[in-house]
Amino acid sequence: MAERGAGDRGGFGRGFGRGRGDRGDRGRGGRGRGRRGGGRRDEEEKWVPVTKLGRLVKEGKITSLEQIYLHSLPVKEHQIVDTLLGGRLKDEVMKIMPVQKQTRAGQRTRFKAFVVVGDSDGHVGLGVKCAKEVATAIRGAIILAKLSVVPVRRGYWGNKIGKPHTVPCKVTGKCGSVTVRLVPAPRGAGIVAARVPKKVLQFAGIEDVYTSSRGSTKTLGNFVKATFDCLMKTYGFLTPDLWLETRFSKSPFQEYTDLLAKPTKAILIENSETIEA
Amino acid sequence: MDSDTNDVLPLQELSLDEAITEVELEESYEEDEEDELEEYVTLGTIEKPKHPKFLLRHLFPSKTGGTPAWLDPVELPTGKFSRCDFCEEPLQFLLQANIFLFLLIYAPIPEKESTFHRMLYVFICPSMSCILQDQHEQWKRREEDPRRSIKVFRCQLPRLNVFYSSEPPRKDGNDKPLSVGAALCSWCGTWKGEKVCSGCKQARYCCEKHQAMHWKSGHKNRCHHIIHNLESISSSLPGEKLSRDKVACSSLWPEYEIAIEDECAYDAEASEDASYEASSLVTQHVPDDTYQFLLDKFEADDNKRSWASFQERISKCPSQVLSKESILIVDDVIFNRYSRDLMANPLWPLSIGRPSMTNIPKCKYCNGSLCYEFQIMPQILYYLGVKNDSDSLDWGTIVIYTCLASCEASARYKEEFIWVQLYPTAPIS
Repeated sequence: MAERGAGDRGGFGRGFGRGRGDRGDRGRGGRGRGRRGGGRRDEEEKWVPVTKLGRLVKEGKITSLEQIYLHSLPVKEHQIVDTLLGGRLKDEVMKIMPVQKQTRAGQRTRFKAFVVVGDSDGHVGLGVKCAKEVATAIRGAIILAKLSVVPVRRGYWGNKIGKPHTVPCKVTGKCGSVTVRLVPAPRGAGIVAARVPKKVLQFAGIEDVYTSSRGSTKTLGNFVKATFDCLMKTYGFLTPDLWLETRFSKSPFQEYTDLLAKPTKAILIENSETIEA
Repeated sequence: MDSDTNDVLPLQELSLDEAITEVELEESYEEDEEDELEEYVTLGTIEKPKHPKFLLRHLFPSKTGGTPAWLDPVELPTGKFSRCDFCEEPLQFLLQANIFLFLLIYAPIPEKESTFHRMLYVFICPSMSCILQDQHEQWKRREEDPRRSIKVFRCQLPRLNVFYSSEPPRKDGNDKPLSVGAALCSWCGTWKGEKVCSGCKQARYCCEKHQAMHWKSGHKNRCHHIIHNLESISSSLPGEKLSRDKVACSSLWPEYEIAIEDECAYDAEASEDASYEASSLVTQHVPDDTYQFLLDKFEADDNKRSWASFQERISKCPSQVLSKESILIVDDVIFNRYSRDLMANPLWPLSIGRPSMTNIPKCKYCNGSLCYEFQIMPQILYYLGVKNDSDSLDWGTIVIYTCLASCEASARYKEEFIWVQLYPTAPIS
């Protein structure tokens, strides 16, 4: 690898093409280092999307998370959620838990961060990340939490007056030995829950609910995952008002092309899809 | 409601001392304990060119979009090399990279005179349906002559050649190549214009389709004038036009320059554990852990794991504001990990669709083995302004494998092997 440093190689020392030489200085002080500003970089300075969904969101063709949920599109970039939910998203670190692994040379400690994000209006996400440093773990957990944002369905306890304020029905979620049960409550009851699920439910935007939990709720990881699982199930529950047949709409990947104008192209796509299948 | 929030204890105030009493033993989930090997990463970033003149072929540019700057301007690939094997349309120019062959310590080849100038050209058919069909073809063995819709060519020249001077270009605006190249198609400006317009005898085309498009889009009116010399033409000789007039086709991608620089992969956060060496060798790279999804829903299946590490690696090369020597705009990584090191591995966003050693064929010309050269990242699609319809281009990554020995063959533009990894069309459950 020593030859890489020399600048008089063929190709006219790399300066032949662009006049951008200066590769002799490897290591800390090199151009590469300087460009990164010494380890501190501005996040979201400019997001270059990597996926098609990301490009659509960046363009502005997709305006709400609901369009993504409708077609079950996987969200792979957390900046998508950032762009769509914007400043309304708040996050909270639930716990930093040191975990250890035994090695020949002693113990290796890493930190596990549990982060809940939510906009208090029907979207909540949970992220868990383990890393050698606390800050890294928190940062990673926030990103994971944003990637896992799910919609939360809210309903009424009794009369359908005003905005929905509670869970639509009794739902239960389980993780490990912890089961959490959410029961609809009348307006004004508030969130009747332990400290940990209360936080999650607040982020979800549920105003009144009765809860009941069982199992070793001391394990915060499982407790918070169980609550999250419960909230995910609210939209999975078939209630009578969902009995109407759904009218399917085109996914965002299809909306912006005029398939009708190019019938041959459409047939081609279909053919290749059948090859794929 | 507000009183509720006040009742809740601020959970983050749990101090670390309290937390340590609850130290747990870690479950033994597998982690990617990446080895501490040094990783040499070369990145190419997209920039707006200082002047379109700097992207002409005698300045040996690395660029993307627009038209290619052919290294050997005479013997261009023609016929079926220049077309998509599925739709028979001429391929569109994606990018070219001026990649010099490094002499690695453990590579057995001596420095080759013939590869002083070395350029790789990538062409792609802009139709997604062709890429989907291409996916099946790339798995086929070479003997079955797979049909591809994306092609890569390598061209190399020795220092002494008939096209360019042996001295480096001075970049003062006076550089010229030694000879004029072949005329290119007036519509796409990419391929050789072998067919001539029967009317004016000036416009050249690479295929009938382009002739028809050019005719419809304005040549119909101008052909007549050109015949009768009513319009002055830039060059009366049938040769390439060195001035960068816009070609007639409007669907070419915007032009950018690619700046190829070496970057040592390192982790900004873990800088305290990494030990930097002052020598010209690479720095010690201690990678951060890959993302760990712990819930059943979040359980890392292979795809998610590789996506997680892919995201992490590209996020390590953030948008960089350039140093003071250039006045260009903020850029981003578009292709990375150029390395002819036999141990180098491309960065795969997904675990499905990766080639194994048997899937990579031997060199078509010298029957030697191929090695990983570089890969193209999907961020480039954002810069090229590719639309986001169901039929527009989208890929996970494109990986190019080239002949390890960089062989010389009779063909000027040697075809190399290219591998495309697409995102799956169905959502991953």
